[in-house]
Amino acid sequence: MRFARRIGTTGLIVYTLLFFAFIYLPIALIVVYSFNADPVNMMRWSGFTIDWYRQIFGFRNAASEAALYIESTDQLIAAVRTSLIVAASTTVIATVLGTATALAVYRFNFFGKRFYRVLLFVPMLMPDIVLGIALLIFFVGVGISLGIGTIIIGQCTFLISYVFIVVSARLAGMDRSLENASADLGANEWTTFRRIILPQVMPGVVGGALLAFIISMDDLVITYFISGTSTQTLPIFIFGMLRRGIKPEVNAIATVMLLFSFTIAAAGLYLRRRNR
Amino acid sequence: MSGFSRRSRARAQLALLLGPVSLFLAIFLAGPLIIMLIYSFLAPGLYGGVEWEFYPHNFGRILGFADPEFEIFDPVYIAIFLRSLRIALTTVLITLLVCYPAAFQISRLSDRWKSFALFLITLPFFASLIVRLFIWILILKKTGFINVALSELGLIDTPLELIYTEGAVVLGMVYIFIPFMFLPVYASVEKLDWTLVRASQDLGANGFQTFRRVILPLTLPGVIAGSIIVFIPALGNFVVPAVLGGAKSLMLGNLIEQQFLAARNWPFGAALAMLVMTIVLALLFIYIRYEARRGDDAPVIR
Amino acid sequence: MAESMVRLQRACKAFPLPEGGTVTALDAIDLEVARNEFLTLLGPSGCGKTTLLHAISGFVELDDGRIFVDGEDVSDRPPHRRPVNTVFQNYALFPHMTVGQNVGYALDIARTPRTERSGRVGAALEMVGLAGLENRLPRQLSGGQQQRVALARAIIARPKLLLLDEPLSALDRKLRQSMQIELKTLQAELGISFIFVTHDQEEALTMSNRVAVLDGGSIQQIDTPRAVYNNPANAFVASFVGASNLFQGMLQSGRVMTAQGDVISTDAAAAGSARVTALLRPEQFTIANGGGNGAAAKLDIGIRQIVFTGAGYEVHGRTMNGHDVVAAIAAAQQAQVASAEISRKATLLYDPAAVHIIAGGGDRS
Repeated sequence: MRFARRIGTTGLIVYTLLFFAFIYLPIALIVVYSFNADPVNMMRWSGFTIDWYRQIFGFRNAASEAALYIESTDQLIAAVRTSLIVAASTTVIATVLGTATALAVYRFNFFGKRFYRVLLFVPMLMPDIVLGIALLIFFVGVGISLGIGTIIIGQCTFLISYVFIVVSARLAGMDRSLENASADLGANEWTTFRRIILPQVMPGVVGGALLAFIISMDDLVITYFISGTSTQTLPIFIFGMLRRGIKPEVNAIATVMLLFSFTIAAAGLYLRRRNR
Repeated sequence: MSGFSRRSRARAQLALLLGPVSLFLAIFLAGPLIIMLIYSFLAPGLYGGVEWEFYPHNFGRILGFADPEFEIFDPVYIAIFLRSLRIALTTVLITLLVCYPAAFQISRLSDRWKSFALFLITLPFFASLIVRLFIWILILKKTGFINVALSELGLIDTPLELIYTEGAVVLGMVYIFIPFMFLPVYASVEKLDWTLVRASQDLGANGFQTFRRVILPLTLPGVIAGSIIVFIPALGNFVVPAVLGGAKSLMLGNLIEQQFLAARNWPFGAALAMLVMTIVLALLFIYIRYEARRGDDAPVIR
Repeated sequence: MAESMVRLQRACKAFPLPEGGTVTALDAIDLEVARNEFLTLLGPSGCGKTTLLHAISGFVELDDGRIFVDGEDVSDRPPHRRPVNTVFQNYALFPHMTVGQNVGYALDIARTPRTERSGRVGAALEMVGLAGLENRLPRQLSGGQQQRVALARAIIARPKLLLLDEPLSALDRKLRQSMQIELKTLQAELGISFIFVTHDQEEALTMSNRVAVLDGGSIQQIDTPRAVYNNPANAFVASFVGASNLFQGMLQSGRVMTAQGDVISTDAAAAGSARVTALLRPEQFTIANGGGNGAAAKLDIGIRQIVFTGAGYEVHGRTMNGHDVVAAIAAAQQAQVASAEISRKATLLYDPAAVHIIAGGGDRS
């Protein structure tokens, strides 16, 4: 009996280790092979090189000239720039609107409050493709030409929800009697908002903004439908590369991107923990 | 200050907070969805346009009453629809099997390790989706990691058909949806009161009976929430089959994309999207009813 | 008496129920609190005591009636413009501020000069015995310490009136008892009126100058603790304050007879017969030696349970007619208790003069 239980416990531990291996081994694999020198098959190890990194940062070199496909670095940089512009704009808009909605739902009792709560879950739970094509039909029908503007608007429709939910969660954890205490001690509404509500909700707002930024940088499906032919964000650029055929420097791009988002996410999660 | 002016000031504040967002969502969320609904009942025109007439045959092409003037009913669409359902359900099942035992192990760790484990599980969610799928291309393709490794070890002569299969699509989905399943499941496993498990054992139940009659019912809310959160994006997914699937693993999402960007039959694409949305809404409706009956105020939605 | 500190005139408040209809929280309440008085609002949950407190502090707007604080009508003022401060039930300490910032908050709002501010924060903390903890965060403090911070924060602006909303309910019994004494001392030092809300009758009796017993949105009785205990105005007060044995019945020629057939002797007289409730506190009983046959004022009971309480015994029994009775027997009667425990029955004696008669059949209204 005890033997059986020990097997069970050990089994569970091994299972959990495999679980993490399943998540992280592929990531480790791509990081390692981004240093692979083989220009033809990226997954056949033939020596160490940092040429692919030099390549994506704009340094020409022999290995990449020999590669099967040569994509212009300019396109990559343009895509990154577009993504950053889009993410920065959507983050600001979604954070302002999402926070305002969360505050309204938290502070006031009004007709239709439940409706707003549900409404803001809708874009998050709707399959991306549905929202993507609905926006496409809408923009084309109304006659708004597709481009960076439509990407920003389109992404905001669902990023507002993410900010709303993160900020609402923060507000829900707040003790309402604190506002009473502040009023009781002589503070008017504005002072209470500035000195009691705002400092406490701020970590939620920052968290929501960070989440919006990351999701915006990563959004593929909705952006894919409403970006038009001349505008490319980073995920769309990579998606295109994958569809046309893979070339060695994608490994390096992928590794840089992983590193970038892991760093931001780690910083965000750390901040959230510290603020709890 | 009278009660009246306090109230009217509150109303002004409310309008200021809610006005912009209401306008934005009315125009850019409700508007597009309504137009899509209308489109799904319009006839496709030449060169990707639409004819403004009532035309139920977009849905007919999928469900079995195709436009008698132009075509006979082609069951290919219903086949794609059923395949999408199958792939989505398989994905749900596998992510659940992957996450559920791990959730138990992690809930038993010390606080430090627990939060580290949760951190590791949430982290990939923030990494680029397309990059995470790309990794699997490199692993599964004909000249990919597995085939290269196996042939260098001398185990195979010809590369295995791993990529562009339904299996590859499911694998890719499982990989990207693990955090979606894990977090709700973990939330209810974590809440599980282990004294109840001990009580069950004390009352004579063996391990399996305790699991079936105590542990499973108590963690079911998390299992259901996780399943729905995985099922919804899996059903309408188009990126994973586009990257890892082949012609034989086409899903609804790809079909919709084709209608918009290749076939340029927008009304038919809109009808397909309406079908996906109807399923999702029905599922959510059932789920909300279930949650309400359970008496919990907050549904476990991320 | 000079102008009272707080005066409520016909204060009314009803809350809508989610399923429709309304519940009356305050039913035309008139109340006066004197200067420097410690008044306790006592009642079960839902009796309206917290609503009454919130009406005074301004968090609840009255449907009808006026509230005067120190002679001024404050009924229409928002909370932050009332000369009243509150110690909240869960303390409501601002989690993102240090102890010093919490305590000094009211002074910041009033734009008190920095030098005066730090002096007053120090003094307030000293007053509650927390000197030197200015830079701690609330979550680094124990429950008792948090409670003291809340107290210091509420008194620093020198309110005319301090409201305390079940402030001790989260503390353990020992800490609660010592805080009761401290609050009483503090009130005497500050020389301001306290209105203290609690559902704990022991707390109410220990601390207050007067106790107001609330039920169903109206004041059932307002009087000194002693009077509330010894001369409850009605059956609700009698049963809510202290342990009690209540016998409802007809009062006729020195006897109260219940419908079941129990008989309670009393000195009280009634013209003809009247429906009354007779109150016997547990400590009014003694156990008779032997049968106690001669005594007129007695109750024969079967023993159900005897509990040792340290100071004596609690004897739980039941009359032949099925009426449950609790008696608190002093340790001096140890022998009688022992024999009652063996014989499973006892005769309880009481003084007919001490039986308190409440008019009416014991309905709450």
